[in-house]
Amino acid sequence: MTTIARPASLRIGIDTGGTFTDIVSVDGASGAMRVTKVASTPSNPAIGLVRGVKQVLEQGGASIDQVVGLAHGTTVATNALLQGEIDSLGLIVTEGFRHILEIARQSVPEGYGNSYFWVKPERIVPLDLVREVGGRLNFQGKELRKLEEKSAREAARYFKQRGIRAIGVCLIHSYANDRHERRVAEILKKEYPECTVSLSCDVLPEYREYERAVTTLVDAFVKPHMERYLKRIHDELGPGLREKPFLVMQSSGGVMSAEQIVHKPITTALSGPAAGALGSAVVARIAGFDSVVTLDAGGTSTDLCLIEDGKPHVTNGGSVGPFPVRIPMISIETIGTGGGSIAWVSREGHLRVGPRSAGAEPGPMCYPKGGNEPTITDANLVLGRLPPALIGGGIALNVERSRTGLAALAEKLGRKMSAEALAEGIIEIANWNQANCIRQMTIQRGIDPRDFALLSFGGAGPAQSAAVMDLLSMKACIVPPNPGNLSAFGLLAVDWRTDHITTKVMHEDTVDLKTVASLYAGLERDATETLRRDGIDASHIRLVREADIRYAGQSMEVRVTAPGGTVDKTFFARLADAFHAAHRRTFGYDYKGEQKIELVNLSVSGFGVIDRPTLPRLEMRDGVTPARKAVRPVWFAGAFRDTAVYDRATLPPGWRFEGPVIVEEFGSTSVVFPGQTLEVDPHGILVIRRAGAARLEVVR
Amino acid sequence: MSSSTKPWPVPPKKLAPRDVDPIVLQIVEGTLNSIEAEIEFAIERTARSPMIREAHDYRVGLFDRYCRKLTGRSYSAMPQAVVRDYPPETMKPGDVFLMNDTYLTEGSIGHLPDMCSTVPVFHDGTVVAYIQAFGHHDDIGGRVPGSMPGTAVTVFEEGLAIPPIKLYSEGVRNDEAFKIVKRNTRVPEMLAADLDSEVQACLMGAKRMAELFQRFGADTVEACFQAILDKCRDIYRKELLPRIADGTYYWEDFVEHDGVTDPKLHKLALTMTKKGERITLDFNGTDPQSTGPINWPADYADGAFLIKWIAPILRNLAETPERAAEIHVNEGVCEVFDVVFPPKGTLITPEWPAATNARSFVLLRSLGLLAGVVAQAVKGRMPADQETIRYTGFYGTDANGKSFLSREVLGGGSGGRYYADGNDAIHIVPDSRNQPAEFTENRFPVIVEKLALRTDSGGAGFRRGGLGYEKHYRALVDCHTIVTADRVRLGCYGLNGGKAGQPFRVTVDALGKKPKDLGGLVDGEPMKAGRVVRVITTGGGGWGDPLTREPERVLIDVNQGKVSAKAAREDYGVVLAKRKGLLAVDAKKTAALRKRLAGKRRGKPPMIDRGPGYDKLARRR
Repeated sequence: MTTIARPASLRIGIDTGGTFTDIVSVDGASGAMRVTKVASTPSNPAIGLVRGVKQVLEQGGASIDQVVGLAHGTTVATNALLQGEIDSLGLIVTEGFRHILEIARQSVPEGYGNSYFWVKPERIVPLDLVREVGGRLNFQGKELRKLEEKSAREAARYFKQRGIRAIGVCLIHSYANDRHERRVAEILKKEYPECTVSLSCDVLPEYREYERAVTTLVDAFVKPHMERYLKRIHDELGPGLREKPFLVMQSSGGVMSAEQIVHKPITTALSGPAAGALGSAVVARIAGFDSVVTLDAGGTSTDLCLIEDGKPHVTNGGSVGPFPVRIPMISIETIGTGGGSIAWVSREGHLRVGPRSAGAEPGPMCYPKGGNEPTITDANLVLGRLPPALIGGGIALNVERSRTGLAALAEKLGRKMSAEALAEGIIEIANWNQANCIRQMTIQRGIDPRDFALLSFGGAGPAQSAAVMDLLSMKACIVPPNPGNLSAFGLLAVDWRTDHITTKVMHEDTVDLKTVASLYAGLERDATETLRRDGIDASHIRLVREADIRYAGQSMEVRVTAPGGTVDKTFFARLADAFHAAHRRTFGYDYKGEQKIELVNLSVSGFGVIDRPTLPRLEMRDGVTPARKAVRPVWFAGAFRDTAVYDRATLPPGWRFEGPVIVEEFGSTSVVFPGQTLEVDPHGILVIRRAGAARLEVVR
Repeated sequence: MSSSTKPWPVPPKKLAPRDVDPIVLQIVEGTLNSIEAEIEFAIERTARSPMIREAHDYRVGLFDRYCRKLTGRSYSAMPQAVVRDYPPETMKPGDVFLMNDTYLTEGSIGHLPDMCSTVPVFHDGTVVAYIQAFGHHDDIGGRVPGSMPGTAVTVFEEGLAIPPIKLYSEGVRNDEAFKIVKRNTRVPEMLAADLDSEVQACLMGAKRMAELFQRFGADTVEACFQAILDKCRDIYRKELLPRIADGTYYWEDFVEHDGVTDPKLHKLALTMTKKGERITLDFNGTDPQSTGPINWPADYADGAFLIKWIAPILRNLAETPERAAEIHVNEGVCEVFDVVFPPKGTLITPEWPAATNARSFVLLRSLGLLAGVVAQAVKGRMPADQETIRYTGFYGTDANGKSFLSREVLGGGSGGRYYADGNDAIHIVPDSRNQPAEFTENRFPVIVEKLALRTDSGGAGFRRGGLGYEKHYRALVDCHTIVTADRVRLGCYGLNGGKAGQPFRVTVDALGKKPKDLGGLVDGEPMKAGRVVRVITTGGGGWGDPLTREPERVLIDVNQGKVSAKAAREDYGVVLAKRKGLLAVDAKKTAALRKRLAGKRRGKPPMIDRGPGYDKLARRR
């Protein structure tokens, strides 16, 4: 096929998951979108990535020349951390603090009395690979004792002798003065040129030595993995594509170029779910909902994220596995129910759903070579809510096996109960679990779930989410087009982002505005330079100042946006007001006029603003009634009902239908329950609302 | 539990077996746990005092109409006293009750700072459940700021005592009562806000609970409640109790000082009789109530609070620690235990107006007391002892002339278990955190010169006790040191041949010429600028014979500085030698040394080792 030379306008998003790699391309000029899916190649994910990119180009008849850039979401950092053997990591700390990792914050998780039987997990670095160096700063960055260079040299040799190649350095109060840490880095490089070093003053110049040390170590650990991975992609992309800008998704919800990511790879630690949340925010806004809870139900678990006024909640108190990672990341809650969650009988004889999962292997009972215990997917299948074959007819499902499994489970429970009644109960339990989790999330943040819509995606979400919406009296349940590719789409909806922070504790009464001004100026310079290095034009750079503030005497800060412009008395007054307001919003009260405030951290986020992709408006076809794909019996509230089934691709925008109805598409099935209405919005987004059915009043 | 006449409704003796829908049961159980979490989140978000917000010292409880606790991640207060004084048929929607009196709350409140709110839940016009929350509030008056005078001898020095009162009547607050409460604290605004936070959170929880009744109906929900209680009871009866041979077992442990009289052994005695599916706990033999404030008024409501507080210790009998963590202890456990209290006038049956604010010494000791009794019944298959709560700190005037007070709760090592060493430096309160050095130095005129684990503090054992802290603070101004701690003389006991851990110790001018060790209840030891105060916290007890510990593990401990080379030799019988610059086990010499050390023993090591501090104090008795 010959292609006519067109100006480059194609942006490609690639989301690499454990099983599939999803690819979305959007034409910036026309808004035309194309999606595809290839099998992931876990031994070298770069192969699947490049295969997918070539496939999406071929399908669209596009050439490499038309590509303006690639954006990639990867879990390489997370997987390395969660699965990798951490055996080549060392830590250098200030004299007297060698046990910093063993002590951590002295906390025991969960219930009372667990301290008797809880076993503290292995530390990220064993104690014999933690070395101390002499020298001490105070909290203002003043030198109390000079750096003992000899001890740094000894540490370097110690690591070299043992072949420990990745080294984190975290010295007390280095956020206030980086000189000692930088000197240690010089000594390490001189004594041991092959080592990789991460300095806490670079990774997280923020007070709290334990969290800073772990964050720095995680960075040091993932650095070599990320370098190797990005190099492989570079090699696989080949000439033509490898010259295009290659952006990598960060947990904070922004992208940065691969060249810069390798210097601080920790920012990608939890970037997978972040892209999905951002894609959701874009779709929800198009559908007219600014505030949504996103629900991404996969095989083993469900990720939930709150989006308020179009912005996902960002936290800097997150963690990756057992490791606290205090960099900005989109706040995601994970619960252990997904399509593969197993229904089982506990040893006390009670019915349980999850957290055990059949996952993709062996998978639900109905799958070819499926497992031997019924799952949520089996329950949905027996109820007629899923088609008898998955992924566009590719995988035939064995409904009889599911029914047999459920009947056996009912017997184990000692109940005269049909397989369908038990299946409905299993779904009900899973829905209540999700609803309870959403309630907890919103209460923690002082939010009423009734003001939110529920946006559902992922393979196992849309079959149940409309029922969860009802349990919580939420505004609507939204199913975006291509719900299986939302993360890849999200990658294209993301601005460049770079975050810079520094700690300087200043009491309201003694705050020096000149210092504040110069700190912000420095952070803004760093942010701008970082973005300029990625070739962002100054006109597209947006800088946002933030500050972590607390009432003097508290130990918890609230992050607020600081005014731009000159740092003067008005600036400070507005900043203080913003803090009081944020404190009231977050905690329900403030101490304005009663208590003094303290600035703790100053930070600047730099954004390289892109043109957001939009979903093309579909042609309205008034009066067109789509053809039913089938009518099949589907179980609702204790009985089978003949229910219309439609193919999503045939649904015209503007179409409305009363539930029950089933909408099938590639990789996902949406269920609209009796008493609910379905509307197809002008962009093809499904919007499900309840039609005045009797329901619980939800109270906060 | 005996069902003598009670001033609150008791469940019918023989409940007709109810058919419980397994699906609704799961939904009800999941939602109860969620409601508990939602109330906690609401309090955490809106409360103001650091004790609640940061130290996580607050508890929530959900109860059925018979005052039975339904959830079990944690202990909580109890509604019996409210129901005793305000019968349910007189309660109205919107009523909220308040209480903190340690003698008039049926054993549910141990010291006055724990103010407790109770909200009834209505369905079809009758009370079907209760929601409760209490927090450790910063101050409720009394002789000293913080309402915990270590030298108090009566409750009158400890602050304002409130028997159950109706604070809100059908949604309207009794402002007269509220005025009195606010007038009796040093932090009126903070206390008012905290109470408001707790009341609102309970009201929210009560609405959520009422929805559950509306959705499924009272009969179904209450049948589920019963099934949830039965589940806990049956786990104890069928899974945990069979691990204990029928019989009678005895043990005693001690608190070592009461803040007022000279240090001595204050004995807590426990005789446990296990027969079939029941356990009787008899505390006769416990010492008389103390002059100082370590008394714990526990002898109420058939010991319902005490049972729920200490019964979770039996979870350590579960086949794995993972299984133990799954077991939630609710009121169902009270059907398994009977408690026999000594007559009035002992440490756990004190008579009003004995002071109680430091009852946590006795409260914490009672956990190790039960663990020690059970250990004898199961050949030591229980964890060794731990002590992980105490307060240390400084007060004075900083360089700018401003007064400061720095108080911190430093944990300790936990005891060794048959399956693992004890944990280093942990705290029993879930999610409670220590102070980062960088925070301390920012806020107070001290330098943290060392934040470390104390070498050799964990009791030696086949599974070593966890290590306590060794923390050095250098004062930058002249100031004072404060300490509230137990286990200064008696280490945490070792089990099954394991040794006791090292006790707690605070030393002023620790690195100077005249170091001075302080006691456990100290209010203001002077400390000079430039000098160092060293705080060493308790190590956990060891588990099993240290001479059987794998020499490779001892080598790792020595390499990591957790055990000294000297202790490796003397306590573990392990000889290490340098090879090519690295330490290695000398297997031959180790075997010989172990043989010699074992030969020097007189008989079998005792099941429980209290450490050298005990003998010294026992001689004073």
